[in-house]
Amino acid sequence: MASVTAPAVQKPAFRSVGRSLLLTLPMALWAMVMFTPALRQPGRDGHIGAAAVAVFMTVLFYMMMRTGTTYRWRRIFFVALGFLFPVGFIASLIAVRGTMSIPIERMISGDTPYCFMVTPMVIVPAALFRTLIFPGSILPTPSNPHSIAAMIGLWLAVSLVVGKAWCSYGCFFGGIEEGFAAVAKRARLRRFVLHWGSRLRLTPWAILIFIVVLSAALMEPVYCAWLCPFKTITEYPAVRDVETAIQMAIFIMLFAGLVVALPFLTKKRTQCAFFCPFGAFQSLFNKINLFEIRFDREKCVDCTLCQTECPTIALSKESIREGKTLLNCMKCGACVDACKKDAAVWHIKGTRVGVKPERARLLFLYGGWAMATMFGGSILANSVTTMLGFLPWK
Amino acid sequence: MRTRVLAVLAYAGVGLTLAIAILVPFYLMGALTGVMAHAGLRVDDKFTGGTVAQSFVHEGYTIRVHEAVWPRMLERTEPFVQIVFEPVSALPAQVNEAIDLDGDGEPDVRVEFTVPASAAAKMHGNVIALNEGYESLRNAGNESFSRMMVRVGDRIVVRVPVRDVARK
Amino acid sequence: MAAVSFSACAGEALLLGLATGPVCLASCGAVVLPWMLVQPQGLRAHGRQLLLFLAARLAGYLVFAAAVWWLGSTMARAWGGRSWILGVTELLLCVALLAYAAGWPHARCLVAGNAKELVQLGAAPKPRRMGAVALGFLTGINLCPPFLVAGVRVAQLGSLGAALLFFTCFFAGTAIWFAPFLSLGLVRRTPEFIFVGRLAAILLACWYGLSGVFTLVERTVYG
Repeated sequence: MASVTAPAVQKPAFRSVGRSLLLTLPMALWAMVMFTPALRQPGRDGHIGAAAVAVFMTVLFYMMMRTGTTYRWRRIFFVALGFLFPVGFIASLIAVRGTMSIPIERMISGDTPYCFMVTPMVIVPAALFRTLIFPGSILPTPSNPHSIAAMIGLWLAVSLVVGKAWCSYGCFFGGIEEGFAAVAKRARLRRFVLHWGSRLRLTPWAILIFIVVLSAALMEPVYCAWLCPFKTITEYPAVRDVETAIQMAIFIMLFAGLVVALPFLTKKRTQCAFFCPFGAFQSLFNKINLFEIRFDREKCVDCTLCQTECPTIALSKESIREGKTLLNCMKCGACVDACKKDAAVWHIKGTRVGVKPERARLLFLYGGWAMATMFGGSILANSVTTMLGFLPWK
Repeated sequence: MRTRVLAVLAYAGVGLTLAIAILVPFYLMGALTGVMAHAGLRVDDKFTGGTVAQSFVHEGYTIRVHEAVWPRMLERTEPFVQIVFEPVSALPAQVNEAIDLDGDGEPDVRVEFTVPASAAAKMHGNVIALNEGYESLRNAGNESFSRMMVRVGDRIVVRVPVRDVARK
Repeated sequence: MAAVSFSACAGEALLLGLATGPVCLASCGAVVLPWMLVQPQGLRAHGRQLLLFLAARLAGYLVFAAAVWWLGSTMARAWGGRSWILGVTELLLCVALLAYAAGWPHARCLVAGNAKELVQLGAAPKPRRMGAVALGFLTGINLCPPFLVAGVRVAQLGSLGAALLFFTCFFAGTAIWFAPFLSLGLVRRTPEFIFVGRLAAILLACWYGLSGVFTLVERTVYG
């Protein structure tokens, strides 16, 4: 869509308190609805966890409304999610089976919780052989509520609403990288990103093809077995031979390199941008999702500040010239908040670029933050509840 | 005119998206879960052990023999047959059974193990092949998906590797 | 009577091939997909390459059929599982895929070749026929359980001609499943697509190489 020469839209630096509260009200109600069931469960720790997270999510949304910015407040939630998720998850593993490792006995009993990252790998075997190549259970069981059907249903439902923004509002793994990327004041490996970023951002697609094809051939989730760095902070097949020992070494090295070291050195989400095949798969949802970020070419001065700020190399000179982001944009809002000329704007497909961008942002955030509160918020509440249980005076 | 129509459609789409967002926790997630659950899919036999072919009822416990699980071409699992003894609580302290795996009336393997004292205790046992169609296991534990002897809840699961391709 | 048993045999083989097709698709897809991603755009070019691949695959099938009929069903049984033949085949597949991925013209050459404003010196690079033949033959002699079952059946047939016919019909049943790969010819070969295709081919080649080495080491150490 061609941009319209509209009067210069001032980013509302500070929306009034009253108006901000009014706009926050639906999200506050949503948080109440989402966390009321937890408040009805017995256990004071659970009540505190639920209430704290409900307030946390509402306050962050209020700040988004008040300041007119998105990235900083979303990042607070996202980093919290990334670091607190392992707390709750690992604690539950230790409580149930005493170890993070999955013994083969649990795999054959269908007790392995389903991870959404397996999804691209199960599609072809399911289509060809009606077989799910994951050692879980199809329906929830008392010992495994994270069944295959439930988790795919959840992921699909959320993805229909937010598209690739799953990677910046839902994926708890991405929050870890974003946290490490935020630590350093400036990037130490800027040249690496400048020279290699445009090529390496394509590698997730190659890895996606690799794991999809190989998983269908081997009838096992190859990425989970060999490549997933996040087994370091969740769970992994118990080491019982040379092969599983090598697998463990690989995922620890990938975690240390792609999730900790490189984000710290480059201030980019390097695992997401250069490796994650699920992110590449999720990018396909950007084709059908109505929300996107666009660039008003009449205002853009090609300063490339947006490109510098983008955490996942979702912008190139060519794409900015065309007024668009690349397909892997995860709608984190970093470029919009960074742009000094208000050229980077939120946009609804089918409408005119640059006309009422704040409305587009609001509508996106209502859907995206609702999903974040429902999914990520429940994980946070669970983790806070778990942490309260560790307090020394308990 | 076209711009207006597109804009109306766009906002209608946004309205639908927000409606979906509201429906996710109350209806949509459950509906999609149900669709997935009734899609006629099953977890790979390598994990589940395949369908039950025959059962032998003894005094208080049952031995279930599953259909042989055959790998597809590049699959790295060996072919195997799963045998399940359940419930553990009804098993004698020492189990020594000759079992017919292929339904021809002749025993194919002899399985011997000591029932572990507790659910957490590791178990080991032996499988002695009585013909060339199967492979013996000495001191079997949880080596791999195709050769194991493990306790899973209230069941003892044994997986015996199959040797002969022609048995498929 | 002979005609009935002839058509029954052919029908049985065709049905077996159709039923086996998904397995072939899943297994051979790991080779065919990355190889086709680095082919130039165009339905015709893809069709030609795919036909070459399938023809070479048929040749592999027929070699196996003849060998099994000649040596008997024990050969099929002995070749079951992760044999040294599979190990060698995987190593050769690795080399073939790497050659394809590494040898493809660089993206900028392809772009320059398509630009109307520029004068192209020499003909545009043609897809390499030997690669299609090599990959097709190597996947044709790769051995999967349904393939081996067909082999055991063939060993029971009375004549070499029947054995070859059985496997030709079996092949026809599996080949139908490869038709969807033609659609890759419609995808525009942008520099990004080519880069992704090459990298995917390299990754899969590495997998085949490692798998082949492990298989051969396993066979050597454990027999």
